[in-house]
Amino acid sequence: MIVIKCPSCHEDRHEEELEYGGEADVVRPTPPDGASDETWTDYLFMRTNTKGVHYEQWCCRAGCGQWFKVARHTVSHEVAEVIRYEDRFAYQKEGGE
Amino acid sequence: MSGRRLQTGGLVDRTKELRFTFNGKTMTGYAGDTVASALIANGVDIVARSFKYHRPRGFFGAGCEDPSAMLAVRDQYGFDAAIRAAEVYLTEGMDVRTSRGFPSAAFDLGVLIQPFARFIKAGFYYKTFKWPNWRWFEPVIKRTTGFGDIDPTASPRPAERVHARCGVLVIGGGAAGLSAADTLIDAGHDVLIVDEGRSLGGAALWSGQRMDDKDAAAWINARVERISGADNIRVLTDTVVTGAYEGNFFTLLQSISDDGGVRLLRHIKLKAEKVILATGAVERPLVFPGNDLPGVMLASAACRYIGQFGVAPMSCLAVFVNNDAGYRSAIAAHRAGIDVAAVIDVRDTPAQTLLDEMSAIRVPVMTGLEVAAAIGERHVRAVDVRPLAGGRTVRVACDGLAVSGGETPLVHLAAHRGMKPVYDPESASFVPSNLPDGWVGAGAVTGPLKLDEAVRSGDAAARLVVGEEDPTQAKSANPYNIQPHWRATTGDPAKMFVDHQHDVTVADIELAAREGYVSVEHLKRYTTLGMGTDQGRTSNINGLAILAGLTGREIVDVGTTTFRPPYTAVPMAAIAGNRVKTFYRAARYLPAHETHENAGAVFEDVGWMRPDWYRMNGEDREAAVATEMAAVRSAVGLFDGSPLGKIEVAGPDARAFVDRFYVSNIMTLKPGRIRYSVMLHEDGVIFDDGVVTCVDDNLFIVGPSSGNADTVAAWLERWRQTEWPGMRVAVAPVTSNWASIAIAGPKAREVLAALDPDFSISGDVFSHMSYRQGRIAGFDGRVSRVSFTGELQYEVNVPARHGKTLLTRLLNITQPMGGRLVGLEAWLRLRLEKGYLHVGADTNGRTTPLDIGMGGVAAKKPGDFIGKRSLALSYAQSENREQLVGLTVKAGALRVGGRILMDEVATPPCPTAGYVTSACYSPSLGYYVGLALIENGANRMGETIKIFDRGQVLAAEICRPGPFDPDNERLMA
Repeated sequence: MIVIKCPSCHEDRHEEELEYGGEADVVRPTPPDGASDETWTDYLFMRTNTKGVHYEQWCCRAGCGQWFKVARHTVSHEVAEVIRYEDRFAYQKEGGE
Repeated sequence: MSGRRLQTGGLVDRTKELRFTFNGKTMTGYAGDTVASALIANGVDIVARSFKYHRPRGFFGAGCEDPSAMLAVRDQYGFDAAIRAAEVYLTEGMDVRTSRGFPSAAFDLGVLIQPFARFIKAGFYYKTFKWPNWRWFEPVIKRTTGFGDIDPTASPRPAERVHARCGVLVIGGGAAGLSAADTLIDAGHDVLIVDEGRSLGGAALWSGQRMDDKDAAAWINARVERISGADNIRVLTDTVVTGAYEGNFFTLLQSISDDGGVRLLRHIKLKAEKVILATGAVERPLVFPGNDLPGVMLASAACRYIGQFGVAPMSCLAVFVNNDAGYRSAIAAHRAGIDVAAVIDVRDTPAQTLLDEMSAIRVPVMTGLEVAAAIGERHVRAVDVRPLAGGRTVRVACDGLAVSGGETPLVHLAAHRGMKPVYDPESASFVPSNLPDGWVGAGAVTGPLKLDEAVRSGDAAARLVVGEEDPTQAKSANPYNIQPHWRATTGDPAKMFVDHQHDVTVADIELAAREGYVSVEHLKRYTTLGMGTDQGRTSNINGLAILAGLTGREIVDVGTTTFRPPYTAVPMAAIAGNRVKTFYRAARYLPAHETHENAGAVFEDVGWMRPDWYRMNGEDREAAVATEMAAVRSAVGLFDGSPLGKIEVAGPDARAFVDRFYVSNIMTLKPGRIRYSVMLHEDGVIFDDGVVTCVDDNLFIVGPSSGNADTVAAWLERWRQTEWPGMRVAVAPVTSNWASIAIAGPKAREVLAALDPDFSISGDVFSHMSYRQGRIAGFDGRVSRVSFTGELQYEVNVPARHGKTLLTRLLNITQPMGGRLVGLEAWLRLRLEKGYLHVGADTNGRTTPLDIGMGGVAAKKPGDFIGKRSLALSYAQSENREQLVGLTVKAGALRVGGRILMDEVATPPCPTAGYVTSACYSPSLGYYVGLALIENGANRMGETIKIFDRGQVLAAEICRPGPFDPDNERLMA
């Protein structure tokens, strides 16, 4: 059972109110045409399957509908960090995307 | 028949008499009785039959530990086919029946099996019925096993699910839990205390124990009062914590009752910050021949029946113990006026204080002896007692035997979290090792202890939880001076019952050990020890200790089996909660639902309540569908397409955004034009098809299929947020804002004109795949000229609130023209005549655009789109892929699901080359048409193939999808 405080509507959401979106930071090769078959199939299918702290995507489906990034311990379900996508992209902008 | 109600005593409400029936016979009990105690009060002693040998079973325990008394119970609110009598509170008018035993538990023909018991040993079924085929025997075996029959007419008990949280969860409202909660009152923590009993207090209320030489009940009552008055403490009684999960999550099952029974089951998912585990312990029995006879019960159960319920389960009691705690039953029985024949103690020298106590009430204590056998056929009438050292057997007459073999801490919840209990040889019990983070143990769950020690440990646990120093305190190592005695030293092991519910005897354990099943997990599976509904609370430890003895190991090396949730049985109805029937999913109705209803619509729930066909003039479905199809082909048909997805994508980057989702080029789509395309997942597989409308350069309408409207909206939004947040675009699902009626047929333009559009609709201006918005039928509307049927077709959208008006007006216009409403079935058959695919039916989880003839479109698109790169992978390009083709069958009936045979000579069973995905009779063409996914099908046009369908072989010809009007003359009209 997982509870995450949505970083956008600031409510605790139980897992039934949330949608899981798999591992976060899986980078889509750009342009896809330039990616080798191996790079592309790795993007499609290969995941880290982490035992421990795992960065993953969640959506506040029953609430505000916003996607965000969560650092969750896959054994204890402890949520160490919740990151708004806007913050992530703001950071990238500063870093000179 | 030896049980009776005591004149006084017990915690039942003697002013409130309840009438109930047992196998149709009327009996009475009191409020506060369990079904078990009420039956004992009425002299019932056999209520069930055991699983394998059909041996009589009575009341062995008095709570959730009881392995045997399984009954069927019906109250005002529901029916339970097999529930343990000690766990159900009696209610007025309750209907209680034996759930096993034919014709009744008291007189069971299945008992005839007992002489053959020797042959039904562990692994009996595995060994006997494997040849020639288990299925030959299964039906017969099923009739003689199992507990109870489900009543298919019984409605499930009302149930709901809730989420909750608390600061400190105190599990168990006995002396230790109460003491902990009491300490936490002043600490101000948000506390939830949970107990499976009807009220807090636990065993201290009825066990007759004393607390620092004071009456325990008075102390308990004072604590309960303080806790009930505290603002920061919530109390949940009649509630079992059924499972413990990662992150201090728990599942709880609360039974909410009134005078009519359990009126609501509440399944609670709870998160707790801290946990005080105060679940206590249950007593273990001793193992000797005949120990399963009715009349033999746990000493603690005897105390509880007398102390809590004021019933006497026997009139003359013998007590058999290996520790001090069991002596309490002798005292309780004596006080209740029950004769106590003797206490039989395996120890040579029990403490002098015990002997003095017994001598004060004139109960003889026989030391250094064991019970060699319980004597009786349907009820115990005596026990044979024999010195442990060997010697002459003495018979002691009694009609009840209380046994006490030590305590088993209820460590289950901690073990659900992976905690391995360890064996403490001093107290002969498995105690928790390291508890999960944030948990503290209190009371008897940490190992056997005296009542005042339990109170102190509850207080200490509370202090630990609030962060005070560990007030480590001395706890007696072996407070009840137990001397382990795992089984009778001699006697027939086939009569020594370890698991009373599943009839697992010492002989079965011996057999398992002999055959090499020496791991405790193997022992469990091979013998079914502890696999009953009681989950082996009274049998597991005895079983593994006996196994240790047989295999020359220490108990600590044998270990316990894995504990898994749930702790007690959880009805499926409780897990489902109120998400059943109409609450399972919100029903969605078309804006013009009533109009359809009045027109005779037969609805089907496909996410929306949609008309499948319209019942008119007494036609059946086939006839009506044919009439509806004919109306579209010859005049005009009206189809309610309101559920069709409508997602507005707006903003300066709308065009570029939508372009990334579709295989077709959206960059070239002009304002007022519509394009059909498919949407892929990143792996190249089609997941939706639909039309895209360019309203203007800043506004596009994405039109996914009805079933995918929500999914596609979520899909667009996810990419917008997580991958392309820089795009200046907004996604708005507006499906249910609009009522959408499709007008299809040669007379469609005439009908549209009658709606007085304020824009030109002539065929050369408003051509196929165009879009207009303006006033129509008096409303601000949107009209698309698209076709799913192959006919001239318009989709008229008006705000949902005007849907009824629009449809009524259209019906008035079309009726004189021979038009009529068309349901989903006719609609889908019309599209099949035309060969349009239906995603999910005509595509599967591997179909790419290359497989449906859209390879050219994909290749021509200059920009990227989701899934494009995957189409270049070798698997997508390989030659033997299943490709979508049309089929015609001139002789015979084509049906969905038929397999395409590889060649003329193939005879099933054999590999096949694909299957029929859609099929129907085409009235327009006069033969069957269909679609199929066939290996390399695109290169096999014109071939005749064989289809194997339910035993028949059928010839079909492969063609391009849609043999009807191949030149689109009707469509373009």
